[in-house]
Amino acid sequence: MYDFDATADVLLMRPQATAAMQQTDETAIEAVLVGAALAGDRDGFGRLYNLYAPLVHGILLARVPRAEVDDLVQDIFLHAFKKLHTLREATAFGPWIAMIARNRAVDFHRRSRATVEITDDVGGRNTSDSRAAEILEMIRNLPEAYRETLVLRLVEGMTGPEIAVRTGLTPASVRVNLHRGMKLLRQKLGFSEGS
Amino acid sequence: MNDDYLWDKSGEPDPQIQELEEILAPLRYQPKPLQLPNDVRRKYFRLLAIAATVLIALLAAGVWLKVRKQHTIPPQEAKSVVPSELHKEPEIVKNTDLSSKPIVRKRIRKKTFSQRERQEAREAKEQVLLALRVASEKLKLAQRRTQGPSLNQIKNQHKVG
Repeated sequence: MYDFDATADVLLMRPQATAAMQQTDETAIEAVLVGAALAGDRDGFGRLYNLYAPLVHGILLARVPRAEVDDLVQDIFLHAFKKLHTLREATAFGPWIAMIARNRAVDFHRRSRATVEITDDVGGRNTSDSRAAEILEMIRNLPEAYRETLVLRLVEGMTGPEIAVRTGLTPASVRVNLHRGMKLLRQKLGFSEGS
Repeated sequence: MNDDYLWDKSGEPDPQIQELEEILAPLRYQPKPLQLPNDVRRKYFRLLAIAATVLIALLAAGVWLKVRKQHTIPPQEAKSVVPSELHKEPEIVKNTDLSSKPIVRKRIRKKTFSQRERQEAREAKEQVLLALRVASEKLKLAQRRTQGPSLNQIKNQHKVG
């Protein structure tokens, strides 16, 4: 157990490790961390949280109002902590938590529709912030297949291969979604294709 | 348009994508500590409370049984003991096995209790019964605490996934 933890430590705590190596070993680290968390290691789950919080944040940001995202991220990880024993494959933590996040976003809209529609238009923002909110709104209005991938790439700064590994989508699908989504976004922003 | 930069940030950076990345950077995830529920310690405390209660109950039951056993010896049996037998030498039974030592059987004297001793024993019994009742109440309380959250709490939980 100590050997596995040490491996996870080394790979997680060193950002200088190459991206390719991280992608290859990510599923193995994920499995080790899930195993540790299931054995009662809270630090193990903390590392899973550090690893997957940007993914969950991005998925939520593409679907729910910005003000709700942080609380929902915490809620989703608390739910995952309680229900971790229901995860069938330890290597599928990413797709599993991504699915929980998507379902939670749907649940949020179902509930908020019955009460009050919450919007992101809160006053007192500076210009760059409002520009960011404006572009985010444009991304949210894109077809569902593209918006999540674009937010993960442009907002969370993940690469295409990272998105594929963490969401469980095929690299080809992610590449197509990024390419087509970016094309639509450029059109909406009035950017020329060739520039 | 540089597709490689969009895909894995390799190759020549695309200025439009870079501009979008800069604008959207403030929306990026800001690391925050995860607050996990600290219910493990409470769980152990409950288990410890149950174990302690069971131990007290067992001890009390043991003491009570001991006192009861002493109390139930009929006093008239002492009358049947012939005084000459009490002063007899211990009976030696020769063992057919030569390798082992002879077995010495000792007669156990049966003790008789006086009226005062019986009264004391009764009082002790009452005390043990009282202790058992207290232990039983504690056990019930511990069971009630370990039965988990109330129905209202269960109803208020959010359904996710």
